[in-house]
Amino acid sequence: MHPNLELSISGLFIERADRVLCDNFSCQVSAGEIARIMGENGAGKSTLLKIIAGVLQPLEGKIMFAGEDISYHRDILQKELLYLGHHAGIKAVFSAAENLSWYCPTKSKDAIEEALTEVGLGGYLDTPAHQLSAGQQRRIALARLWLTDKKVWLLDEPFTALDVKGVAVLEQRLKQHLDKGGMIILTTHQSLDDSLNIKEIKLTS
Amino acid sequence: MTYSSFFYSEILAVFRRKQDVVNALVFFLLVITLFPLGVSPSKEFLQPAAGGIIWCAVALAVLMSVEGMFKEDFNDGSLEQLVVSGLYLPILVLLKLLVQWVSVIIPLLVLTPILSQMLFINWEILWVLVLTLLIGSPALFLIGTIGAALTVSLRRGAVLMLLIILPFYLPVIIFSTGAIAAAQVGQPYNGQLAILAAISLITLTLSPIMAAVSIKASVN
Repeated sequence: MHPNLELSISGLFIERADRVLCDNFSCQVSAGEIARIMGENGAGKSTLLKIIAGVLQPLEGKIMFAGEDISYHRDILQKELLYLGHHAGIKAVFSAAENLSWYCPTKSKDAIEEALTEVGLGGYLDTPAHQLSAGQQRRIALARLWLTDKKVWLLDEPFTALDVKGVAVLEQRLKQHLDKGGMIILTTHQSLDDSLNIKEIKLTS
Repeated sequence: MTYSSFFYSEILAVFRRKQDVVNALVFFLLVITLFPLGVSPSKEFLQPAAGGIIWCAVALAVLMSVEGMFKEDFNDGSLEQLVVSGLYLPILVLLKLLVQWVSVIIPLLVLTPILSQMLFINWEILWVLVLTLLIGSPALFLIGTIGAALTVSLRRGAVLMLLIILPFYLPVIIFSTGAIAAAQVGQPYNGQLAILAAISLITLTLSPIMAAVSIKASVN
């Protein structure tokens, strides 16, 4: 367990296209916790995740991780970070396995095959990603969750384009990660298993 | 993600997208063939103009190949993943650029001796031409990267990028054709080569950082 692993945000002010998305927003997530950002479409859920990940910089506010101020440089967080955005960086010209071995170079070919089997892509190892459907491409990105050792997961709508079985498998994996002392922040409109003990963060301006 | 795994993935991506390199090369060939056909096939015109013709064609071919450098990565979200990877973005840009440079410049160098015969360049001058290409072309790529990074999020960024970048190509073109012209009349050309090397070195230190800043501004 990492007792120090704690992400806290305070006084965050986000503006996007001249629209204030949140003002003086604060939240706190610790190790072993899963937080879900609540808000309507266009409320700025993805923007908040991007700001935490360091794709965007906030106008105001302070972000602390493991006791350090990371408002300007997210290096410490990014070493422990797995971020899946709307487009998760699946290269169309690469096969499913190549897409993963590029992203997780320390993992063996067997581990990658196992991860792909886990998300139901066992037979598509060498299929180029552009020949797969949107849901299958999403699954390649999600297979990273089975390969990563990163502690902090930021998942933007991880359940889109997944079928019922896929959702259940993913929920199982999220639970495993939490039990190991990981931290998850996600956005979704899917109703999730109650046993996950989700902390809800409201994003309203 | 590590620097080496990123590097290998870039090499693999270039191999999978050979047609981009082939497009740039065919374009290069066609532009050069236009001059003997369109202006004059005589030795009196082609020999003094050859350096300029080849260099202009190289500049355009490089622009073509650099322009789309980040486009696909931007669309599929890999650029975003690079930004949050915790790796130093300017180094990633530099690695990507190195792969691009090698993949374009080696075929260009292979084609140049054949084309130089068509343009009546003799072997001594060809050597100078190859030298200017080796020393000057990194600057073309490095300057182009800034433009590609700046315009990556725009839907029709290609023309804008051309307008931003081409003026900065002028010094490189002037000094490389200057070196070739000097060699053709038997004068020393070391000075021009040194300036080309200086331009390449300055852009090498500045451009990855500027490109990284532009990428960060573009992904949002």
